[in-house]
Amino acid sequence: MFKLTLKKLAVSIGLAALTLPSLAAAEYPEKPITMVIPFGAGGSHDLNSRVITSIIPTYLNQAMIVRLTPGAGGQKGTQEVANAPADGYTLLFTHNYVDMLQQYVENLPYDPLEDFIPIARVNYAPIGVVVRADSPYQTFEELIAAADKEPGAIQMSHSGNWGALFVPAAQIMKERGVAFNLVPYKGGGPAMQALLSGDADVTMGFPSTLSTQIESGAIRVLATAGAERMFDDVPTFAEVGVEGDVGFMHRVLVAPKGTPQEAVDKLTEAFAALVEDRTFTRMMGRLNETIDLIDGPAYQKLREEQAVAYKELVEALTK
Amino acid sequence: MLEQFLTGFGMAMRLDTFALMAAGLFGGMLVGALPGFTTLMAMAILLPISFFLDPIVGIPFLLGVYKGGIFGGSIPAILVSMPGTGAAVATSRDGYKLTQQGKSRKALDMALFSSVFGDTSSDIFTIFMIFPIAYLVMQFGPPELFAVLLLSLVIIAATSGQNPVKSLIMMLLGLWLSFIGTDPLGGVERFTFGIFDLKSGIPLLPMLIGVFAIPEIAGVVMRNEGVRQLAALVGERLTFKEFRASFKTILRSTAIGAGIGTIPGLGQVVAAMMGYSAAKNASDHPETFGEGELEGIAAAEAANNAVNGPTMVPLLTLGIPGDNVTAILLGAFVAQGLRPGPQLFEEQGATVFAILIAMVFANILFLAIGYLSIPFFSRLVQIKTSVLIPIVIMFAFAGTFVFRSDNFDLLMLVVFGIFGLLAKAGKFDVMPMVMGFILGPPMEYAFGQTVAMGNGATMNFLLQERLGTICVLVATPIIGLALWRRMQAVTTTGH
Repeated sequence: MFKLTLKKLAVSIGLAALTLPSLAAAEYPEKPITMVIPFGAGGSHDLNSRVITSIIPTYLNQAMIVRLTPGAGGQKGTQEVANAPADGYTLLFTHNYVDMLQQYVENLPYDPLEDFIPIARVNYAPIGVVVRADSPYQTFEELIAAADKEPGAIQMSHSGNWGALFVPAAQIMKERGVAFNLVPYKGGGPAMQALLSGDADVTMGFPSTLSTQIESGAIRVLATAGAERMFDDVPTFAEVGVEGDVGFMHRVLVAPKGTPQEAVDKLTEAFAALVEDRTFTRMMGRLNETIDLIDGPAYQKLREEQAVAYKELVEALTK
Repeated sequence: MLEQFLTGFGMAMRLDTFALMAAGLFGGMLVGALPGFTTLMAMAILLPISFFLDPIVGIPFLLGVYKGGIFGGSIPAILVSMPGTGAAVATSRDGYKLTQQGKSRKALDMALFSSVFGDTSSDIFTIFMIFPIAYLVMQFGPPELFAVLLLSLVIIAATSGQNPVKSLIMMLLGLWLSFIGTDPLGGVERFTFGIFDLKSGIPLLPMLIGVFAIPEIAGVVMRNEGVRQLAALVGERLTFKEFRASFKTILRSTAIGAGIGTIPGLGQVVAAMMGYSAAKNASDHPETFGEGELEGIAAAEAANNAVNGPTMVPLLTLGIPGDNVTAILLGAFVAQGLRPGPQLFEEQGATVFAILIAMVFANILFLAIGYLSIPFFSRLVQIKTSVLIPIVIMFAFAGTFVFRSDNFDLLMLVVFGIFGLLAKAGKFDVMPMVMGFILGPPMEYAFGQTVAMGNGATMNFLLQERLGTICVLVATPIIGLALWRRMQAVTTTGH
């Protein structure tokens, strides 16, 4: 009798287990979603994600939980998501340099293009090349001319090797055939401080860092990323001969490849609604962040272009 | 300026500011007391809440979480020898000994009073000296940072133990352990043997808990104190006489801490160790340090809290966050429409002063909150050891795991726990190792930066542009030798 009940129980549990996945897929998300950030606390990804995850539950009807997994320059968190089941419950919030460039400078335990699909690019930050207000270089061309005359004499502070400031600097050097002496600092803040204190001659920065210094008249912007001018009297990278996707940090949400289409669609919908949300736009505005959503398939094209460009860059630099 | 200060004073006197600050302080203290949960995490999670509050309420709230968290970290350090951060290592040394002697309440009181004193004085110092400090901050670059870090390591090795050779061996071991992983500048893997988990280096938290807490837990178990309590007494509160006896030390540590806070990139760990070393060196009974010396707690806690004021200066005057804590505060400022930077004082002077004044009041408020909570915390050690020890072991493992949910960290905890036991048996002090491990990476980074700045001609670069660095580098061995000689002389005559 007892055995029989046990058998029945086992069968019913088995049946339930069989029916569960289809049920789950039908109403994704049925449990909280984890958003892994492969960087440390207090960085721009951390702050952006706090705003995203405090609003997105309205559109997903489920919580989204941030998990910071720093380590090995972003590889630790990325590997964790690569190994996670592709069920839409583990996502990765990363940026293009970790996503697409790192594969050419280190041995990764995953293949970014093979193992991940993009869900949404939330926003991007365009970079500006800046010097101190009392610097002898009035224009970008004067800076290039000086670097041309004495290769390596001009010190450029950046936020770490193969990072968001280093890569555009290297791309400029490659495109214009000049050499700066690149000195790493621990993040964009210390790199800017090195410029202001006179240790560095030139650096780069994102609008959120630059605006304060521009207002106070401490720095001068020589060029900004992209093809559209950010300031009326400052040329763009395209105008000074540095073309392509150079100097943009894209903050992007990716998922393990093989994530069910239903989950991808639901997330895409939620992000489309999120960027229209007034509380969201207001809070992001307060953090000085732009919102510029691109959906997965469109960003995938950009990713493939980045992969080619970064590969060429790394080959040119390490030759 | 005075007018802005007075307006700011009036603005800070709000009931809701004080209420939320108190909530932040208490919450921060609880989070800080739990190993594995960092104050930084708590601040990042609470940041969006501050967006919806008035600037003079929201920012003091976050500051409260920060200040409460730092003190919170010294609670497990003192009671169960479990420092959750590098800044609490020096406190844990004498604190745990005092707990074993049944004086945990005195130890916690001393930690609280010296923290609050160090913090308050450094805040007031910062308010009045903000522009001179801003000027000083700009004088320190990577070469200076490297020289000062090297000097700090030499001072720690020279003053830490009875046997400076053993201290040096342990420090070199710590430095070597810090090399494991991806090299911070070039991205080359070192000593990882292709193991992915080692790529990001050895994690600090499992090492701290492993070498400091595990041997103590094992000690209690091996002495078979099964039915007894860790300490029969929590003891009396700190007397004014005891506080006054340590007052000179507190003043010295506060000055050291505030000075170290001015140098970008040094931080609380260096401050606590330097304050501790200086107190030990100045004392006529240095051998009691590390054996349950109230003055040792005072020296470490006053110094690591005095760092806080000056570290706010680059943020307020330049708009540049120097570390992750100030980066979160920058987020809070910007979200409130306050753009930290040179023009902040001209445009929003009163609000900034209101926030700075609220910081000072947060300390006074914390004195009350801490004083009332200490009896509650110190009672922890009166739990029967048969119950307490499993709880502590659970917290050691859970705290290690919760930090980044990685099984590898648990393995590291066990490895360093065993290492800690062996080191204790061999009478090797683990403190220089931990300090080498913590200070090695920033020192190496600063060294790499210096070489990069010299662009192939480092010596010329230093001689031509960085004479200050050369002076510190030349003085380092002399200072080290002098300190060691003095330490030997005092300990031998003292016995």
